[in-house]
Amino acid sequence: MSSKRRKEGYLMIDNRVNEGVPDDMMRAAGLPAGSGKGLFESATISCSHCQALVVLNQDRTRERGYCRKCDSYLCDGCEALRAMSFECKTFNQTVDEVLEATTKQDVSGSSRVILLS
Amino acid sequence: MAKYSGNWTSITHTATANTTNLVDSTYSFFLQGGSATQRLEISEIYIGGESAAALACTFKFSRDTTVAATGISGVNNTLTDASATAPGTLAVIGNVATTKPQRGTGTLLSLSINTYGGVMRWVASPDQKITVVTATQPLGEASLSSLTGAGISSGHVLYEVV
Repeated sequence: MSSKRRKEGYLMIDNRVNEGVPDDMMRAAGLPAGSGKGLFESATISCSHCQALVVLNQDRTRERGYCRKCDSYLCDGCEALRAMSFECKTFNQTVDEVLEATTKQDVSGSSRVILLS
Repeated sequence: MAKYSGNWTSITHTATANTTNLVDSTYSFFLQGGSATQRLEISEIYIGGESAAALACTFKFSRDTTVAATGISGVNNTLTDASATAPGTLAVIGNVATTKPQRGTGTLLSLSINTYGGVMRWVASPDQKITVVTATQPLGEASLSSLTGAGISSGHVLYEVV
């Protein structure tokens, strides 16, 4: 049975042997306050639409972005776009488009006529 | 297919802003597809701080808007499975290049650690690995480098050539 947790990665930041990192730096890096002190462990998610990694803040109370069409978590930026357009374009679809475009270029660039006698 | 460990040793980082040339041998690594159709999947990044005094650093793992070219070296790249056969086209990994890579603003992972012994490890979910596709921007290269702080680190990136 599929689970949302199956899509979670893992992040560990271990500053137990030093004075750690100030909270303002951690917040600027998108990490929760206090995560720069001691041992910090958290689940991460990868945005299905842009592949940005999001460190899950356990204290977050707002609803997290989620796309029902691709059944995946989204980062806040992609969730805002999805809420406006209701469009779902996964990162894998973007990759497929890039690869297809690249393949077409390769084919057209190497095309040649072979004459058989 | 073939799984690799790209690893760097005791690199003293240069803090570099986005869309600015990264300085040779002072960033962890860039990883680039080896061909126009190659696909790489990154499953783990590890950073071990080695500075001799307390120093808070912010590292950015981002896609690059300028990809490295020619004269590439500086990062050890090893098959993790001793019995595996290397693919015909290898991925391109290094921290030295004639054409310098530039980190874009599309950050994939932002990490702050104190490099005075601090350790960071990120592991992807099996079906949510970070992909690098083709050998050109915007998806063909990603790099790990310092945004703030000149910390010293060693570490590795585990990836698979798909």
